[in-house]
Amino acid sequence: MAPVPDPNSVAGGAKRDEATLKVPSKDPKKKDDKKEDDLSEEDLQLKQNLELYVERVQDPNPELQKAALESMRQEIRDATSSMTSVPKPLKFLRPHYGTLKEFHIKMADSDLKKMLADILSVLALTMSAEGERESLKYRLTGTEGDIGSWGHEYVRNLAGEIAEEYTMRQGEESSIEDLMELVRQIVSFHMKHNAETEAVDLLMDVEDLDLLLEHVDSTNFRRTCNYLTSAAKYLPGPDDMLVLDIAYMIYMKFAEYPNALQIALFLDNMQYVKQVFTSCSDLLKKKQFCYMIARHGITFELDQEMVANNDDKDALQDIVNNTKLGDGYLTLARDIEVMEAKTPEDIYKAHLIDGRASSGPSVDSARQNLSATFVNAFVNAGFGQDKLMTVPSDSTGSAGNWIFKNKDHGKISATASLGMIHLWDVDTGLSQLDKYLQVSDNSIVAGAVLGIGIVNCGIKNDCDPALALLGDYIDKEDSSVRIGAIMGLGIAHAGSQNDEIRNRLSPILNDAKAPLDVIAFAALSLGMIYVGSCNEEVAQSIIFALMDRSEAELDEALTRFLPLGLGLLYLGKQESVEATAEVSKTFNEKIRKYCDMTLLSCAYAGTGNVLKVQDLLAQCGEHLEKDDIHQGPAVIGLAMVAMSEELGLDMGIRSLERVLQYGEQNVRRAVPLALGLLCISNPKVTVMDTLSRLSHDTDSEVATAAIISLGLIGAGTNNARIAGMLRNLSSYYYKDASLLFCVRIAQGFVHMGKGLLTLSPFHSERLLLSPTALAGIVTLLHACLDMRSIILGKFHYVLYFIILAMQPRMMLTVDENLKPISVPVRVGQAVDVVGQAGRPKTITGFQTHSTPVLLAAGERAELATEKYIPLSPILEGFIILKENPDYREE
Amino acid sequence: MPTVSVKWQKKVFDGIEIDVSLPAYVFKAQLYDLTGVPPERQKIMVKGGLLKDDADWSAIGVKDGQKLMMMGTADEIVKAPEKAIIFAEDLPEEAQATNLGYSAGLVNLGNTCYMNSTLQCLKSVPELKSALSNYSLAARSNDVDQTSHMLTVATRELFGELDRSVNAVSPTQFWMVLRKKYPQFSQLQNGIHMQQDAEECWSQLLYTLSQSLKAPTTSEDPDAVKALFGVNLRSRLHCQESGEESSETESVYSLKCHISHEVNHLHEGLKHGLKGELEKTSPTLGRTALYLKESLIDSLPRYLTVQFVRFFWKRETNQKAKILRKVDYPLELDIFDLCSEDLRKKLEAPRQKLRDEEGKKLGLQTSAKSGSKDSDVKMTDAEASSNGGGESSTVNQQEGASSEKGTHMTGIYDLVAVLTHKGRSADSGHYVSWVKQESGKWIQYDDENPSMQREEDITKLSGGGDWHMAYIIMYKARFVSM
Repeated sequence: MAPVPDPNSVAGGAKRDEATLKVPSKDPKKKDDKKEDDLSEEDLQLKQNLELYVERVQDPNPELQKAALESMRQEIRDATSSMTSVPKPLKFLRPHYGTLKEFHIKMADSDLKKMLADILSVLALTMSAEGERESLKYRLTGTEGDIGSWGHEYVRNLAGEIAEEYTMRQGEESSIEDLMELVRQIVSFHMKHNAETEAVDLLMDVEDLDLLLEHVDSTNFRRTCNYLTSAAKYLPGPDDMLVLDIAYMIYMKFAEYPNALQIALFLDNMQYVKQVFTSCSDLLKKKQFCYMIARHGITFELDQEMVANNDDKDALQDIVNNTKLGDGYLTLARDIEVMEAKTPEDIYKAHLIDGRASSGPSVDSARQNLSATFVNAFVNAGFGQDKLMTVPSDSTGSAGNWIFKNKDHGKISATASLGMIHLWDVDTGLSQLDKYLQVSDNSIVAGAVLGIGIVNCGIKNDCDPALALLGDYIDKEDSSVRIGAIMGLGIAHAGSQNDEIRNRLSPILNDAKAPLDVIAFAALSLGMIYVGSCNEEVAQSIIFALMDRSEAELDEALTRFLPLGLGLLYLGKQESVEATAEVSKTFNEKIRKYCDMTLLSCAYAGTGNVLKVQDLLAQCGEHLEKDDIHQGPAVIGLAMVAMSEELGLDMGIRSLERVLQYGEQNVRRAVPLALGLLCISNPKVTVMDTLSRLSHDTDSEVATAAIISLGLIGAGTNNARIAGMLRNLSSYYYKDASLLFCVRIAQGFVHMGKGLLTLSPFHSERLLLSPTALAGIVTLLHACLDMRSIILGKFHYVLYFIILAMQPRMMLTVDENLKPISVPVRVGQAVDVVGQAGRPKTITGFQTHSTPVLLAAGERAELATEKYIPLSPILEGFIILKENPDYREE
Repeated sequence: MPTVSVKWQKKVFDGIEIDVSLPAYVFKAQLYDLTGVPPERQKIMVKGGLLKDDADWSAIGVKDGQKLMMMGTADEIVKAPEKAIIFAEDLPEEAQATNLGYSAGLVNLGNTCYMNSTLQCLKSVPELKSALSNYSLAARSNDVDQTSHMLTVATRELFGELDRSVNAVSPTQFWMVLRKKYPQFSQLQNGIHMQQDAEECWSQLLYTLSQSLKAPTTSEDPDAVKALFGVNLRSRLHCQESGEESSETESVYSLKCHISHEVNHLHEGLKHGLKGELEKTSPTLGRTALYLKESLIDSLPRYLTVQFVRFFWKRETNQKAKILRKVDYPLELDIFDLCSEDLRKKLEAPRQKLRDEEGKKLGLQTSAKSGSKDSDVKMTDAEASSNGGGESSTVNQQEGASSEKGTHMTGIYDLVAVLTHKGRSADSGHYVSWVKQESGKWIQYDDENPSMQREEDITKLSGGGDWHMAYIIMYKARFVSM
């Protein structure tokens, strides 16, 4: 097969080379014999030329040398433009690499030597031995000319060698000045050539990301930052913080404030948040920022510096305080037409169950009524109307008395469910709950105060009704009223770090007369209020409270809330926990390990720290002789640490499968809960199947945990498959009151807010983790570790902690006056576009809807019209739209 | 004087002046005028605290234009219901059992499923239960023998125990008494008790109960069991040879559904069962002659029992063989065309009434629908023959209509219990009962395991395979009040 020159080929030489190369490859033997003969005339010519150049380079005459070097450089440059195969000149020069190297050593310092070094540097690309870094070596002695002139592959290779060299020199602590100059060149080259990811990689290797700031421009900063933020998830601390810092600065540099704010929130750096406000002058944009802060669920006070005008400040503070959340949620509900209240029976759908349907009991069952109370509360959460609690009592007579259809402590949950139904609507909620405060029954008062806390969840108000009203009840005689008030404050003020409440609650912890349950809830509430604050004083109070507990008290199920409260203080704060973790080693051995595991898992929650995952896995793997309770929090901790990003999440699910197979019984019991946390409000089919299998486990505790977790993974999705599974479970367990109760609760979860809510603590495209939301979920899961004594006992109202995680899974567009407007949007599965070339589509398989729309897990929205410009690139929650001035009606 | 705005529920009251020199109570009185909430029920929130009645404004430091929030309603305070609500969890075990909606199962004592299923079916008749509960322990009348008395008491006790317990009951006592009374049930095979025919158990038990409950001392009702289950048949005997005709009445506890090749449906089987041939000494001929017997129902019971004659003695194999033929039966049975002329006349009016009521339910014009369908049914078979089944008795029964005044039989029956047999012969296989509860749910009693069933599955027990097939079924009369 004779090579036929391709007339269309521009780089004719290279193309033909490929053709000729293929021939000998068919027959290796032939290759050796006829190597010379196989070369085409042109190649032969080239080879001879190159050999001549090599000879001439060694010529003593500098003129001749220079001409030869220049010709050689020309040949190489022409060829390196394409990298589909090893360029011909490099190939032909291969035998002479050693000769040239030797000659280079012999040469006196001169421009010519530098020129030769340049050529050697390029030749080293293919010829230098692994780890020699000759390319770099010659580059450093070379002419320092335009680095890009030798092509991308050369630069890429060089970057790799620099990284290696850098680590070596770091070890030897020698200077890196010369390297950095080169780095600068390479970065600038990469940034200009759409290779931001490589530039970032190199800079991360040489630990000098600040350089990026000089090189980003308006065309590439987005891609750069995108890469930085997603890379941060896989970096060990404190590198991840540095990377995000840079991303923040880049966003600030290009006035991309919403993104900057996002990162500031991720870093939990209030200084940065403030800076975003002070740097931005657009009031409308600030409103958008406020919506973002409100979604994150942190307490944030605006000051004069951030907003000059007082009225504007009030308006912004209103948004931060979430006062409009309820209205937005109802707008969504009206648009989707789900305002009609649902009864528990609508959820159970008993008529769909084969034969086994419960035979309409003639007598009220306290258990079943309690589950109906919860289901009703979850399903109608935030709608302000239902068919059990809010119906006027005089219409039919019986309906208004639903509270009294619950027994003893059941009345607490029943009354508190009013708070859930009026969630986010403080005014109506308070007036509804008011009358129950006057009742003589302590359980109902306890429920009413808890309800007041619930209705204020996530909403802040100048008058602070929660504190004003509940303050008086903290020190009441009856412990259920006290618990109601304490828990209510914990829910209403989660994350607020309110010192006044601390001053009220801390004394309870160290009050020798206070009963254990009150102390447990006080510790938990303090943990919620100071979540992620690392507050020393609170930590001290809880530690003392733990130390004061007697042996017998340490065996109580509720004691676990003390270490949990302590853990919440350090939620996501990583190393800050260490001092406290040391102290915990002095605790009574009964609680020591539980405390250890809780602290560790809370501190590293949402970090994806692989080392901690391994630590926790090791704990789960132990086969203990006696039943120890610390493995439960270790399993949950595994999920807490691993839940931060998709890869870690999948790995977590797989590890849990193993744990399930090899773990001891008390480990197995926690596995469903961990799965529930990993996929919360994200019904992955594989996890669903695992949980469905476990829900029939012979160990009833595994089954209860699996059932609750089925509810958690389907929470707020109305997922028909899970709903079907639960219906079947309700008939399967129709005789077992406890399991049936769990099935009912799970059904309530799945239909939470009639499918408009999510429990996922992650938001803003899964970047941000709301600490209060996670605190709520984790508390519920810890309570589920001892289901029998807590949720199935008389502390079922801990289920209401889940309220902290409840958020509408919506995208609601509002105009410049914050009035809802309907615009077309495309909603589809989000695509990971980080580091991809060009302008890839960010969503796939989309459908077009008009806002407001629901967003499921893993979905992303984009505007389907050019008429408006969204003020935030992350289309979730409330989005302010501005009219596009350039838009023209077609 | 600072002016403040007060937010109450969804309303905002702007520009309320506060006289700082007066105590806060005065301010509350102002708000009372605006909202109608009495001052003692008002909770006014000022920066994380409540406003006390005697609070000093200067200490609070209220600012001009400050926003206050008020909580409170003038609504009546919620009161607990007069009658405390009783929860199932608080009830004693027996009450929880009733709450479950069905009673417990019976433990199999070794091939006693025939007995268990019979008992479960009979237990579903509330009238029988009440008759039993009236039966006194001590007073045994003289015409009831000792064993019958014991069996009756044992039945009573067992039914009571079943109602009280949640878990399966072991009928040991009853079984012993039953074997004492009817030694045929003690047959052993390889040292264990043999499977028996449920029909035999059923009829023997009912017979005993009818005897003991008939005793005049027990209740005002002379024969409770007969009133519940007895079917009066008026038979016409016709001898073809001599042409002579005679008629007789008899009372049976169950109708037979004979299964032949033409029978596909219960109705056909029943018709078939009411006709028969028998040999009888003819007074005119002075020798035995073949008589045709044709029976018609003369009075209707409250509970109509139908036995599928599935077992017959196969001479070739010397064993009771089973007919597996599928015979459908309806959930709602109308036996109008099996009734005698007299009875039909009596049924006309109640049936019309029932149809009217149903028509009303469906929203149809009732007058348009006359009973044409039923009048089409003709009783063409004139010959009379005798039916050999059941304990005959010539006691004249009271009317088919119930003793309760104002309610009348309609000739329409609803299925309430099915006793099924699974297996190839009467002495083997497994008996199970399927009983409809008062709640309308069907429960399958498979010895100690009760389980819920769907109504449409009940009609699938009609045979034709190796699945459970109906052996004895029981219908409950539908009444109409006039």
